[in-house]
Amino acid sequence: MEVAKTLDTRGMLCPMPIIKTKKVIQELQPGEILEVIADDPGAKEDFPAWCEQTGNELLKLEEKENGDIYVYIKKR
Amino acid sequence: MAEERKKIAIVVSESSLDKAMMPMILATTGAALDAEVHVFFTFWGMNLLKKDYKPKLKGMMKPFTGMMISKMKKHNIPTFEELRQQCKELGVKIYACSTTMDLMDIKKEDLFDKSIEVVGAAKFLQIALDADVTLFI
Repeated sequence: MEVAKTLDTRGMLCPMPIIKTKKVIQELQPGEILEVIADDPGAKEDFPAWCEQTGNELLKLEEKENGDIYVYIKKR
Repeated sequence: MAEERKKIAIVVSESSLDKAMMPMILATTGAALDAEVHVFFTFWGMNLLKKDYKPKLKGMMKPFTGMMISKMKKHNIPTFEELRQQCKELGVKIYACSTTMDLMDIKKEDLFDKSIEVVGAAKFLQIALDADVTLFI
């Protein structure tokens, strides 16, 4: 999977990861993939909800052992 | 994904720190979800639109405001001013209640942003009537 950009939101709490994601994805071209790293416990539910609502495609959501969440979003 | 943008209408009637943060967080998140967000500030809520206004905790909790703000900072929660600015950047529509402005002698130039619309109840209710979500804070 070719990632066009990575956004590290570790240390940020809701709603900042989503708001930063919204801003950063605007800089991408349709079809490009954004990788977001988050450690806010709400992120696991928030990213699928955000993707469904905005029409961007959630390719993968992966939780690491240390609790970090890696999200891969394809811009619509 | 919905073809038509969802609409969120929020009324803010108080100006304590807790009641300042909640609508700002919901408004910015709503905008990030591609919803059209309208926030109407009325009564004490109008204080939140004043330049340099610093919301404090309510009543007996007031002396602990600084403690709460530094705790929020430690947890990387954006400040009220930052959230207010984010609202503007994300295109959240902000309305000031015309009656409250008159009652509390607040001038348009006292408000933090020139694009704030001064409206009456009918205008806000017209927006709320066809909103998908309406919240009163």
